[in-house]
Formats: sequence, structure tokens, C-alpha cells
Amino acid sequence: MKLVIVGGTPGSGKTSAIKFIIQELKDLNIHYVKFDVLNTEDHILIKEKFGISTEKKISGDVCPDHYAALEIPKIIESNKDKDLILLETAGLCLRCSPYIHEGLAINVLNILSGKPSSYGPLLTQADVVALTKGDLISQAEREIFRSEVVKVTEKGTLLVESNGLTGEGAIDIAEAIRNSPEIRGKITLKHAMPTAVCGYCYGNKTVDSDETLKRYKLGKSLKARIPNRNCGKCGFASCNEFIRAVLDGKAKENKCPFLKAEGI
Amino acid sequence: MKIDKLSILAGKGKNGSKEKFGSIDIFAGQKTGIVGPTGSGKSQLLYDIEKIASGETKTGRKILINGKPVGKNFKIDPSQKIIGYLTQHMNFMTDSSVKDFLESHIKTRGKHRSKKSTEQLIDKIIDDANTITGEKIDKGMNLLILSGGQSRALMISDLAHVSESPIILIDEIENAGIRIKSALDLLIKKGKIIFLVTHDPILALDTDKRLVMKSGAIKNIIYTSIKERGIANYLSWINNYILDVREEVRKGKQIEELKLICTPMEA
Repeated sequence: MKLVIVGGTPGSGKTSAIKFIIQELKDLNIHYVKFDVLNTEDHILIKEKFGISTEKKISGDVCPDHYAALEIPKIIESNKDKDLILLETAGLCLRCSPYIHEGLAINVLNILSGKPSSYGPLLTQADVVALTKGDLISQAEREIFRSEVVKVTEKGTLLVESNGLTGEGAIDIAEAIRNSPEIRGKITLKHAMPTAVCGYCYGNKTVDSDETLKRYKLGKSLKARIPNRNCGKCGFASCNEFIRAVLDGKAKENKCPFLKAEGI
Repeated sequence: MKIDKLSILAGKGKNGSKEKFGSIDIFAGQKTGIVGPTGSGKSQLLYDIEKIASGETKTGRKILINGKPVGKNFKIDPSQKIIGYLTQHMNFMTDSSVKDFLESHIKTRGKHRSKKSTEQLIDKIIDDANTITGEKIDKGMNLLILSGGQSRALMISDLAHVSESPIILIDEIENAGIRIKSALDLLIKKGKIIFLVTHDPILALDTDKRLVMKSGAIKNIIYTSIKERGIANYLSWINNYILDVREEVRKGKQIEELKLICTPMEA
């Protein structure tokens, strides 16, 4: 089984590019997963168009990239019969990316989206960069942009000009997918994601240094004890939501079956 | 890399029928038109050429450079890309002065030798652009304020002088505000191979041959006659004349008379 992660900011043309890529890989048994923050319909569109199995994953309060990394093992487990898992995610803050060493990482990058040097691991750690919307600007601007992308990516990164209307570039990306390794055993992230770094990550709403510190300490101690698997058994979509609820006094610690087992 | 010849080997159309030619050869300095209604396969043909297809696209056409297929890396490595593209959408999006922009493009292309040579090249690009457009471009202008005609003229001049792409694909370029024939002459002077999707008679009748598309296939090849070239020249003259009058209107002048004195067949 191959695992391909397609990341890019909202509106960069990920889904359009993916449609043409799936078209080129019709002989494979594909499972498509769309990660989004609030809502998405793309899994329905892809299912209707290609008749492949699809699902959506909504991250809610959690950073979508952290959430994707948490969900990957479950997705692999329940799709063992597939040749390829195609995972699409909208990396938002650009600090994180759920790219893994063992699969293929594709960044869909809108050529109109500003300086490549201000992108984080979403771009710099990608194996393939699909440059979209290049038909809207001049050849000269495309060339300048491309050379700036080359400066921030690793040597050997494949740069493809990808057109969401005509499907230009899909053949090259499909070939890179076919040549990507099979997933076996351990899966490792290319980039260590930043952790929850302040009291606001634990749901603090008061803009105040002391309050933030207090909340951070409480949140961190709780975070250290829970499994961070987002299993959902506490009734909350994510561990972070559960921690917030506990800190807000809206939920009891023993709602979490793992804390309960600790014997509190 | 020097490119003397590009060959298109026949593929198949939408219904799977084979194209009825063996191969079409196009030599450096030649212009080839691509004509046909919407959906006839014009853009696909441009795509095959841009990809330097080797049978993997849906038409199964093969493109040879100097009589040989090209290597895989050669096709996708941006620094080796030999195909330039002028699309219908021709606007600049970069917030920068004309001079700074050209300078960064010259550096990107590795053509920066000395401060003086770069300055001379920038002046040359702007001078040539100004022969294509009626409204003068100044190097201190911001790219974003350039008109459509100025943008197109600058892009074409930049393509001729900075981009080293020996093969240029032009997709339905608009001729509003530019002397389109001088623009192409500038590119041809550089010995480039040009493909044009166009139904603009000034352009289509000034090519060396036109590939007529139907149902995804190249159905016919029309070699441009001397008469057609004459007609293209005449139409080009009218276009340039309209451009001159347009400048007069822009300057706020009253147009007193129509000076339609010309020799239609002049080169």
C-alpha cells in the first residue's frame, strides 16, 4: 500500500489537481480521505465522479495536521485492501505538516500566493510541488517564482506545473505516485510538529499573562496524563476539547477512561 | 541546447482514428498556426508539444527534437525547460517596477554578467517592447499599472531577450493595443520555433503553415500562399493604423481625417 499526502492552503487547487491525478491512476484501488477544519463536500464529489471509497475527517478544534497524523494509523488499519491512500489536507498555519518519510508528500502551491520563503514544512518538506494557476501570470513571473521555490525546497524535489482546468502536470504527478515506496511497518513524520505552546491552546479566553500561565500549567499536567489519541470515548471529538472542558469545569476528569483507569 | 527541428509524429483523434500523416517537421524560425473550432483539440496539441510527449498523452502523439525523443529529466527540470508559453491571460501580478522585475528575471535566468550589461539588456527589452505597443513603457513604472497592451508587449520582448526557450507556444493572444506582427517578428528574429493557436487573420495568414484540427486530430495542413501573406500584411497595416489613431484619441486629439493611404502588398 502507498500513502500519498496532498497538502496546500485553501483555494490552492488541491481538489482539482487530485481529480486529474485519480483519472490517471484509475487502475489502482484508491481510498480518498479529505481532512478539513470545519466542513467539506469534496469526499462526496470525488465518490460521485470516480466511484472510489472516500471519507471526510473534520479536525474541529485541533490543528488539522496534528489531527491527520493522529488519524493515519486508523485509516491504514481499515483500508488494508487498497493500493493507495490519497490523503488531502489543508495545512493552515504552515508550522505543521503531516508528511511522512515512508510515503509521498505533495504540496499544491498557488503561484499567486506570495513568497515561497514564507512557507514552512508544508512546502520545504514536500517531495513534489505542484504549481497551480500559472496560466494567470507571465512566463517571466513563473520562472522567477519557480527559482524561489527551488531555493527553499530540498534537492531532488520534483516541480510540476499543474493546471486544474486542463489537467496539465497530472501525468508527471501520477508517475511519481507509482514510483513511491510501499508503506511497511513504522511510519515517521518528516517534521516534528510544534506542541501546544501556551495557555490559549488549552482554551484560555482571558487576555492576561498570569491567567495564561495558570491555564498552561494545568492543561499541560492533564495533557501529560491523557493518551492524546482522540479516541472519543469521553464524548468529546478530541483530547484537547476534553482538556478545555475539564479546565472550564464542564467535565470531570474521570470521563476519560484512561484517567479513570489510573484510579482517580 | 540548439534546436533546429521539431517533429510531430501522428497519433489518434477523439474517436480513436489514426491521424493521416506520418510526421510534420517544423524548423527554427518558422511559425505554425493551429486552427479549428472549440473542442477540436487545439489545446491538447499544445499540451502534447509542451510535454514533449512520447506517446503517454491521450492522443498518443510523439514529439521529437532534432529528430530524437528527449530524456525524462530534460522534460521536467525547470532550468532545462525549452518551451515558453504565452497564454490568453496576460497580466502581471508582481508589485515591482519594470526595471527591478526585469533585473530579477535576468538574474533568475543566469544572464547577469555585470551591472552595465544587465542595464543595457533592460533598456533593449523596453525599447523593443515600445516598438510593439503604442503607449510608451518607462522603466520606472510599476508593473501593476501597465495597460493590457503594455503588459503583452513587455512579456513578448522579455520572452525574446531573457527566456532562452527556443520553442514558444502562443494560445489565442489578444492583439488589442499591440503591433502583433512586429511582436512575432521580434521572436522569429531570435530563431525560435513558434506555435500559435489563433483565428486572428493577421497572425494565421502570416504563418508558414496551419494545422487544421477536427475531433481531436490534425485533419489537414494548409501551406500559406503568397496571396495570403499579402492579405496578412494588409490587415496588419490596418491594425497598426488603428493603433496610431488610438494613440491620438488617448492624447486627447480630435481625429480630423482617415489617412487610408497604403500599398496593400508591401512587405
